Amino acid sequence: MTGNGEKKKAAPNDRSFTKGLSPLQLIEIDACTQCGECLKYCPVQDVTGNPLISPPEKIRVFREFIKATDGLKARLLGPQLIDRKLLEDFTKAVYECTTCGACGQHCTVGIFTQRLWPMLRKEMVRRGLGPIGPQVNLPKVIGETGNPYNRLAAERFAPWFPEHVKVVDRADIGYYAGCTGAYEATPMVRGDVLVLGAIGEPFTMLPAEDEVCCGFPLFITGQHDMLEDLVSRLVAAYQAKAVKTLLCSCPCCVNIMSRDWPLFYKKELPFKIRHITQFVAASMKSGKLAIKRELRERLIYHDPCYLSRGVGIMEEPRAVLRGIPGAELLEFDRNRLESRCCGAGGAARKIFSENAIEMGRHTIAEAVEKKADKLVLSCPACYAKVNEAMVGYDKQIEIVDIMELLAKMIEAVDSGTP
Amino acid sequence: MTMILIAIAYLAYAAFWVRLSLHAVVWLRAARQQAAGPAAAPGKPLHAFAMTLIDLLLFRRLFASNKPLWLGSWAFHTAFFIVILRHLRYFLEPVPDFIVQVQPFGVFAGYLMAFSLAYVIFLRAVTKTKYVSYQNYLILGLVFLISATGLLMRNYFPPDLVDVKSFVMGLVAMRPAPLPAGFFFSLHFFFVLLLVPFLPFHLFTAPFVAFEARKREFRLDKVMHDR
Ligand code: SF4
Ligand code: SF4
Repeated sequence: MTGNGEKKKAAPNDRSFTKGLSPLQLIEIDACTQCGECLKYCPVQDVTGNPLISPPEKIRVFREFIKATDGLKARLLGPQLIDRKLLEDFTKAVYECTTCGACGQHCTVGIFTQRLWPMLRKEMVRRGLGPIGPQVNLPKVIGETGNPYNRLAAERFAPWFPEHVKVVDRADIGYYAGCTGAYEATPMVRGDVLVLGAIGEPFTMLPAEDEVCCGFPLFITGQHDMLEDLVSRLVAAYQAKAVKTLLCSCPCCVNIMSRDWPLFYKKELPFKIRHITQFVAASMKSGKLAIKRELRERLIYHDPCYLSRGVGIMEEPRAVLRGIPGAELLEFDRNRLESRCCGAGGAARKIFSENAIEMGRHTIAEAVEKKADKLVLSCPACYAKVNEAMVGYDKQIEIVDIMELLAKMIEAVDSGTP
Repeated sequence: MTMILIAIAYLAYAAFWVRLSLHAVVWLRAARQQAAGPAAAPGKPLHAFAMTLIDLLLFRRLFASNKPLWLGSWAFHTAFFIVILRHLRYFLEPVPDFIVQVQPFGVFAGYLMAFSLAYVIFLRAVTKTKYVSYQNYLILGLVFLISATGLLMRNYFPPDLVDVKSFVMGLVAMRPAPLPAGFFFSLHFFFVLLLVPFLPFHLFTAPFVAFEARKREFRLDKVMHDR
C-alpha cells in the first residue's frame, strides 16, 4: 500500500522482467526494428541529445533484462546476474522520459510507447529500483494529504474559487478541479469554474477533503498500489452526488479517468468523463454560452500530449478558440496527434527540471516565431512549467490557459468592460 | 565438409525454433492485464485489418517518417521476399506454377536486394542518424554477403542446380545428400545458416503491432466521445 511495500525486492522466483507487462507489450518489445526514426520526434532527445535514453535503446536494454531472466541460459542455469549500474541507468532513462508518446505516434511499426514506458516504470518499482527522487514519497504524501503536493485540503479551493459561482449539492454535472490545477495552476481552474458559472447549468463538486488525487502521479511513476482505493473512493463520491457527466480540464486526469479508472474500478464507470472543452464547445454551439467581446489577436494552441495522443481531444479546444470573435488561430508545425511535448509530462518536470525548461522554451520560441500574441495551453502541468521556462528567457509571449482566456472574455462583458 | 554444413544446418534450424519458443513462452505467460482501456470500445476490425495490410505492404509508417530510407527499406524487404519465393523451387517438388512464374522477377529482385541494401547502409552512413544499432548492421552485413555470393553464383560460378535441389530436398527430408560442388555455394549456404538463428524478431511481430496500432487509432476517437 505504501512506498515501503513497493520498495520490497522482487522474490527470487519472481525475478522475471515480464510480470507487469501485457502480451502485446512484450510483442511490442520484440517488434522494435531499432531503426531510430523515433529519435527525431523525441523532445528529450532534442534537449539532451543522449541516445542512451532513446526508445530503441531502452527497448534494447529491456530485452537484455528479459534475456537474463527468461532466456535459454536463464532457463537452464537460473536467472543471470544483471549489472546494477545498467539497471540504475535504465531506471533513470525511463524516468527522464516525459512519456509524451511522440515516439510511438511516429514509430515505424506502431508501438504504443505512451503506455509502454509507464509499465516499464512499474516494473522497476516492483524491483525496488524506481521511482526516483522525491517521487518515492508520493504514496505517503497522497495517503496523508490526498494530493501529491503535500498541501492542505483547506487550500485546495479556497484561494482561487470565485465567490459568485454557485456549486450545488447534487447534479448531473460534476466538476473535478484536480491537484495540479488547484495548487499549481490556479488561473486555469478558476477559469474553468467561471466559464461553468457563465454557462449556468447546475454543477456539483466534492468537498476539498474528498476531492483526492485522481491517481495519475502514482500511475505514471509506476506506483500502482493505491490506485484501486483512490478510484473507488472518487467514483463512489461522485455517484453519491448523482453525477452523470464528470468534467475536468486536466489532460492527465481525464486520461487516467477515461482509460484506466474502469480497470481499477473493475467495471464501467457509472458516469461519463468529459474534457471541459467538450462541454464548453457544445454550450457555445447550442447558444448557452456566447462570447460577445472581440479579441483581435493571434492565438496559438498547444495540444497537451495526454489530451491529443492520449484521449483524442483535439478539435474541441480549437472550436472554443474559433468561437472567440476576431481571434485568429495559428498552429504549431507539429500539432494534434503529432504535437511536440512542452516538457512538463511524465512526472519528470520537477526532477529533470532543466530538460523541462528547455523543452518549454522550444514551445515558446516557436510561438514567438509564428508571431502569436498568446500561447494558449490546456494543461496545468504545461501551464506551470512553460511559465517557469519563460522566466529569464529572451523570447517572451503571454501564456494563457484556454479557460482562463475564455473567462476573461466573459468577465469583461459581465463587468461592463468594452 | 558436407557433414559439418549439414550439422550446422540442423543446429541453426533448432536454434531458430528454440529462440522462437522462448519468446512465445514469454508472450503467453505475460500478465493478462489490458494495455489500455477502454478496450471494449467498438473497433472496426475489418477496416483496421485492411488498413494494416496497406501499412505493411507499403511500409506506410516508415514512409511518413523518412522517405529516402523508406525507398531503400521497402525495396529491400520486397526484394528479399521475392528472392525467398524464387528459392522455394529448391524446396518443393513438383515446383508450383507461381514459383516458376516468379523466377525471372527473382533474378531482378536479387540485384535489387543487394543494391537497396548497399543504399540503406550508405544512407545510414552519410545522414546524421542519431541512433546506431550495431546488431542491425551485423545482420544487414550478413544479408549483403548472402546476396553478393548469390549473385556471384548466378553470374560467374553457377553450381549444378540438380545437385543443389537434391541437397536441399535431402536436408528437408532428413536424408542428407552430398554438398554441391563450388566454393561460393558453400559460402552462400553457410551465411544463410548464420542468419537463421538471428532473424530479427520484428519480422514476426511487427505485423501484429501494426494491426493493434491501427485498431487503437480507430478507437481513439471513442475514448471520450459518444460511441
Ligand atoms: S515518450 Fe516522448 S520523451 Fe519519452 S522517449 Fe518517447 S518521444 Fe521521448
Ligand atoms: S521508431 Fe519504433 S521501431 Fe523504430 S526504433 Fe523507434 S520504437 Fe523502435
